Amino acid sequence: MKKAKQYLEGCWHAYFGFENTKVKVMLPLYFLVCLFFVCVFVFAELLLDILREKPQEADGIDSVVVVDNVPQVGPERLEKLKNVIHKIFSKFGKITTEFYPEADGMTKGYIFLEYAAPTQALEAVKNADGYKLDKQHTFRVNLFTDFDKYMTISDEWETPEKQPFKDFGNMRHWIEDPDCRDQYSVIYEAGERTAIFSNDAKEPITAEERARWTETYVRWSPKGTYLATFHQRGIALWGGEKFKQIQRFSHQGVSLIDFSPCERYVVTFSPLMDTKEDPQAIIIWDILTGQKKRGFHCESSAHWPIFKWSHDGKFFARMTQDTLSIYETPSMGLLDKKSLKISGIKDFSWSPGDNIIAFWVPEDKDIPARVTLMQLPSRQEIRVRNLFNVVDCKLHWQRNGDYLCVKVDRTPKGTQGVVTNFEIFRMREKQVPVDVVEMKDSIIAFAWEPNGSKFAVLHGESPRINASFYHVKNNGKIELIKMFDKQQANSIFWSPQGQFMVLAGLRSMNGALAFVDTSDCTMMNIAEHYMASDVEWDPTGRYVVTSVSWWSHKVDNAYWLWTFQGRLLQKNNKDRFCQLLWRPRPPTLLSTDQIKMIKKDLKKYSKIFEQKDRLSQSKASKELVDKRRAMMEEYRRYRETAQQIYQEQKSIRLELRGGVDTDELDSNVDDWEEETIEFFINEEIIPLGDL
Amino acid sequence: MRAVWCVDCDWDTKNVLTGSADNSCRLWDCETGKQLALLNTNSAVRTCGFDFSGNIIMFSTDKQMGYQCYLNFFDLRDPQQIEDNQPYLSIPCNDAKITSAVWGPLGEFVNAGHENGEINQFSAKSGEILKKAKEHSRQINDIQTSVDLTMFISASKDNTAKLFDSTSLEHIKTFKTERPVNSAAISPIMDHVVMGGGQEAMEVTTTSTRIGKFEARFFHAAYEEEFGRVKGHFGPINCVAFHPDGKSYSSGGEDGYVRIHYFDPQYFDFELEA
Repeated sequence: MKKAKQYLEGCWHAYFGFENTKVKVMLPLYFLVCLFFVCVFVFAELLLDILREKPQEADGIDSVVVVDNVPQVGPERLEKLKNVIHKIFSKFGKITTEFYPEADGMTKGYIFLEYAAPTQALEAVKNADGYKLDKQHTFRVNLFTDFDKYMTISDEWETPEKQPFKDFGNMRHWIEDPDCRDQYSVIYEAGERTAIFSNDAKEPITAEERARWTETYVRWSPKGTYLATFHQRGIALWGGEKFKQIQRFSHQGVSLIDFSPCERYVVTFSPLMDTKEDPQAIIIWDILTGQKKRGFHCESSAHWPIFKWSHDGKFFARMTQDTLSIYETPSMGLLDKKSLKISGIKDFSWSPGDNIIAFWVPEDKDIPARVTLMQLPSRQEIRVRNLFNVVDCKLHWQRNGDYLCVKVDRTPKGTQGVVTNFEIFRMREKQVPVDVVEMKDSIIAFAWEPNGSKFAVLHGESPRINASFYHVKNNGKIELIKMFDKQQANSIFWSPQGQFMVLAGLRSMNGALAFVDTSDCTMMNIAEHYMASDVEWDPTGRYVVTSVSWWSHKVDNAYWLWTFQGRLLQKNNKDRFCQLLWRPRPPTLLSTDQIKMIKKDLKKYSKIFEQKDRLSQSKASKELVDKRRAMMEEYRRYRETAQQIYQEQKSIRLELRGGVDTDELDSNVDDWEEETIEFFINEEIIPLGDL
Repeated sequence: MRAVWCVDCDWDTKNVLTGSADNSCRLWDCETGKQLALLNTNSAVRTCGFDFSGNIIMFSTDKQMGYQCYLNFFDLRDPQQIEDNQPYLSIPCNDAKITSAVWGPLGEFVNAGHENGEINQFSAKSGEILKKAKEHSRQINDIQTSVDLTMFISASKDNTAKLFDSTSLEHIKTFKTERPVNSAAISPIMDHVVMGGGQEAMEVTTTSTRIGKFEARFFHAAYEEEFGRVKGHFGPINCVAFHPDGKSYSSGGEDGYVRIHYFDPQYFDFELEA
């Protein structure tokens, strides 16, 4: 600026300081120079403005997507490819630019598309990623900026911060109870209180009791390690000696849960959480880490659990229309990356002993209905059984997977009625032979003996309900051992150890109970728990609990404890009792040999236990006797004091009653008058005959 | 004119006092049956009784149709009170109405049980509340005294009956059941109490309608343990009472029957191990 000024001054001096003519020439020149500088200034200003609005690099790139797995084509098919791409991708917005990089005359296999706005690019990524163009080409769509993001991840691996170790103590603490008491959970006061008791034949011992521990009900994990409680925001798992909170899973509005048999995963269902983009209706969680492993859609929770687990927790499967989807853990991905197409599949279930799925398909034109047993993961069909004129099938596995019973309802040709067959698959024998048991009545209930080869059936129509017991013998025959008729029963409850069972007439049948020993099919005891709604065996098969839940009946809410033989031990009334669940036991750590040894020496062990029982019995009576003595003494003392005061008040009493002593019933004997009255009762004329 | 809710006679059975849902309390001559006095009230008379001397009567009226619950006292030695229907003392009960009441041992106060489970001791002279006890959580259905009036037992809808000292209102014992207790009585000669109950009338059909499922239950007064039950009623038991000689008891029920039971000799010899 200064120089310019000097120059101007110089010009001025040069111009005006000298002859006029020079000025005349210099003045327009000076003017031009001024103008020039002014223009420069203005231009600079404008330039700065324009520079400010210069498009940033990022703006353009946010709207760009990269599409991978695009077919590599030569120039002759390029036009067609471009049309196809355009058709697919213009759905998400306006494509402003497209770039198909080439190499050696073919397209490289990936392309760049630019949209009018970044939101459109996002749409494209969301919806077109994973689009299957054909068998060999599945599009992968990403935002261009994402590449940038991943490129800038540091090469240095930062070890994640170490979380402090949360010690929950001995998670199996309850199993170490020296008296081998099993625990059970009780929900009462209409859900306000939940308590955990240790089961003792004399009376339950409280282990833990909390108000509002759960908002609806509780569930134990399959091996008894965790107690799950339900809340509006999700579920919580509790365990260890003091039932501390182990883990929490956030799933708004959760209503149902299921555990994997190995207790590694828990599946939660909430009817609220499903959105199209983000399947959240069913979530599978890893219990130990608390991580969400995978989410799934769910149309309805009608048949919970939707996902059925294999016995070892390696697989879980679900059935949708014409499809069976089997997933493996821990990847949570589909086995062999695809679902099985089984047209018309109606139902399936896992063997509780092996990784075998049984499923059935109804009749389809000429193809008869059939039950198929499929081995996993090989997907080999190890047995197929054709069935004719089928109305419905139900699959019942024996607890160890030794047998499968398929209850088949059929309408034989030429008849109107429905007849039921039991198709018994012998899983442990070569080529899985099938035997059939025909049933003439309608079936009310069916149950396998948990670790044996017997099953029980309730059939007939009320009031003529029969209970039949069958034995599946090794020689290929299925023998009817015994049938009890005119039973008041609608449910079968086997002891988890087998042999013993309870036939119960729950709810509408007013709680009739029959305790049966199936080794010789005798009725050990017939009893009743009026209006019983549930029957639960303890995990050892020693005790049975029958209960009247407040959820089904509003009075007499209580749970009764019986021995396995049907002897009533306790009646526990609980205000608005709702639910009792035994805590499951983990599988035994003893080997089969060790168990054999114990059974051999059982007499020795039972002596020790009997002695212990006797001691505790007498201790209990002694406690009770002491308690009673103390109560009586206290009462006596109170009565004595009261009597004293009473005596002291005698004069007042006499005064109030005008001198008449009424303290004892016979206080006024002197005042009593005795009167003898004669009544005519009877007249009898006795002829004496001739005197 | 309508249901008679309460009846009491004085100590030498000269007079009988009755209270009814026809809004009146009447005094009768026991021998002749002649009505001696009529006291009209604004609402049903729920409970009534003579004091120890037989000179003072009390009765309580229900909270009905806008009228409060009152506990009224009349002195029979002053005929003017009866003529003018002016009690010498009338205590209003603002909150829960009185459902059952008994006199204290010397006629100085009345122990009243309320709809909310409270028991209040009202002075018969001044009307003030001398003592309070809040042990029951639901309505008190019945209160009966021991034969010497030193204690009373309250039967409540909260499935328990409780034993109290009449003067101090000290809570002495509790007897627990699973059904609402409608009535309870104290044996005059043994350390026993008897209780009778059942559910709400509307829930009756949901219980076992098998013969005689409604039982009178006997508890040991000191141990608070049940030791016996007597079946026989077809419906909930509304009232129980021991005979003054303690050798029998009677019970009245919703089924319309009054049952009288005489105790076997074993009853008097029975003892719980202690």
